[in-house]
Amino acid sequence: MALTVSHVVGGYSQIPVLKDISFDVRDGELVGLIGLNGAGKSTTINHIIGLLTPHKGTITINGITITQDSQAYKQQIAYIPETPVLYQELTLREHLEMAMMAYDLDQKQAWQTAHALLKTFRLDNKLDWFPANFSKGMKQKVMIVCAFLTQAKLFIIDEPFLGLDPLAVNDLLQLIEDRKKQGASILMSTHVLDTAQRYCDRFVLLHAGQVKTEGTLSELQAALPEAGESLNDIYLSMTKVDRA
Amino acid sequence: MIELFKNRRARHLREMAKYLRLVFNDFFVFALLFFLGGLGLGYSNVLKSLTAGLWWAPFVALVVLTITAQIGRFATLIEDADRVFLLPKERAMHAYLVAARRYSQWLAQATQLIVLFILTPFLRVTLTWSLAMVAGLVVAQVVLKDTLLRLDLASAYQVTGQRRMNHWPVKWGLSLVILAVGLWGTPIAAVVLALIADGAVAVWLQRHWAHQQIRWRQQIASEDNRMLGIYRFFNLFTDVPMVTGTIHRRKALDGLLRRIPVRHDQAYLYLYARGMLRGTEFSGLVVRLTVIGMLLLAFIQGTWLPVILTALFIYLIGFQLLPFFQQYDDIVFTHVYPLTWEQRLHSFVTLVTVILTTTAVLLWVVVVLANRQLMPAAVTLVVAVLEVWYLARIYTPQRLKRAAQNKG
Repeated sequence: MALTVSHVVGGYSQIPVLKDISFDVRDGELVGLIGLNGAGKSTTINHIIGLLTPHKGTITINGITITQDSQAYKQQIAYIPETPVLYQELTLREHLEMAMMAYDLDQKQAWQTAHALLKTFRLDNKLDWFPANFSKGMKQKVMIVCAFLTQAKLFIIDEPFLGLDPLAVNDLLQLIEDRKKQGASILMSTHVLDTAQRYCDRFVLLHAGQVKTEGTLSELQAALPEAGESLNDIYLSMTKVDRA
Repeated sequence: MIELFKNRRARHLREMAKYLRLVFNDFFVFALLFFLGGLGLGYSNVLKSLTAGLWWAPFVALVVLTITAQIGRFATLIEDADRVFLLPKERAMHAYLVAARRYSQWLAQATQLIVLFILTPFLRVTLTWSLAMVAGLVVAQVVLKDTLLRLDLASAYQVTGQRRMNHWPVKWGLSLVILAVGLWGTPIAAVVLALIADGAVAVWLQRHWAHQQIRWRQQIASEDNRMLGIYRFFNLFTDVPMVTGTIHRRKALDGLLRRIPVRHDQAYLYLYARGMLRGTEFSGLVVRLTVIGMLLLAFIQGTWLPVILTALFIYLIGFQLLPFFQQYDDIVFTHVYPLTWEQRLHSFVTLVTVILTTTAVLLWVVVVLANRQLMPAAVTLVVAVLEVWYLARIYTPQRLKRAAQNKG
């Protein structure tokens, strides 16, 4: 079990946003975290990457919690934020080196991976650029390259498809597929449901700080038989329940 | 519309007053008085050595007055959002712009009068002018400045693609011609010429403003530019939020930066060093304080004063570096990367040590050169070494640890 979130209650202040959340991501699995704006997707992710501490409950990655050994815990995660964040004073090359240093990677090997990734995302001629000169999509690609440079066991990807060109979306999905085959797990939050439906192995449907349902598409269809066939229909029916 | 301008003017003046209080602090006023006193003394000495009929005297006056005429810009206080929100009110904007020009006159004309006042003894001595002639030149200069500001107002209305009326060759050329007539011919002729120019622009404006669009983009850009200049000046003395630090590649320093090994435990030093050298915010502070310290120490002799000043400047710099530790707290990777807080602190202490040592060495060299005696040099060295060690290795980690604990 790569990631286990069990009975987590938490949020930014004393008022909990997440109300007793439990789910898991297994080895070699891509799990989609689905929910409306404000459902608690980002809060969940912030708890997993260690930015927030749960009020109750535990989060373990391959058996380690962040309080047991924060460095070993963080070593296993690679994170791609929804809005790209870059160090303004570092060039692209230096961002990659920074990531290599942080994860204590072998320079030579990491650069080989990096060059392949840079070529894929057409950034290989921009190694000496500053973030200020990148477009939003390019910044997002830098985030992807920095994350997939590592040999992390768990990738946390927050809404990756907005702002990327179709070619890059395709390349990213291919990368995810490759890493899955190598045994890595991925937790991905997204609103792009038809892509999620095609690629995710399982789904966690979050609503108002609670896990509404979880499972494979067929399990979801079985649980909500009148909702419809596609993930989109199930998702919409979930929101309707709330409105009524 | 005039109300709008009045409101903005009040807000603008409040903001300026706030910054001016910070700029003219006790220390700066003191320094300024000395500086002005020195300049005044020098000027009066120069005046004594001058005689009538020097061939270059009118040229000097021409250059000084022409440059002075360009000082005092058209302050419109227009904001970026105006081109959306005030677009439907475009005709009414004329009253606003006229009010803005009237407001701009104050500072601009005061500058003209002060410069002419200072220049009066020079004109009287070298050109043997009577007071009446000087007065004539004053009138010419004031009318000229009025014309230049009217040109700025008129060009707010000009059709796109046209060469603007307030293009700089126009302004400089007009000033040169009018002032040359005043200096070599007679001031009365200059006054007449300036009045004709002013009248011509006024007539053009009266005929055209109602039929043409305001050039919003240019007006906004030039106002932004004007404000940026003011803020830049204030930023020399205090922190101005509107002026954020900029980033320069500074490729020449890459050799220095590459000496930091690309290793797990050096990750933060790698980041901090680049941030420090390429950003302007903190490096500017260090450079400014070091240069001021060096200049001050160059003129100071004695046994204890240089020691105290050196210690003071090292302390000031060391103290102001502390917030740089949190520079990257907003970036999520500072928290997500598998690096420990202790590694980060260690890197920061190394950085502070290097910076303070460099500063201390520079200050010490100045002390040695200024005094050329063993005692001050030796005492300064010992004090500086102890201080750098204490500030960087003991004080900095203690403070940052306490700050981190308080945050929880």
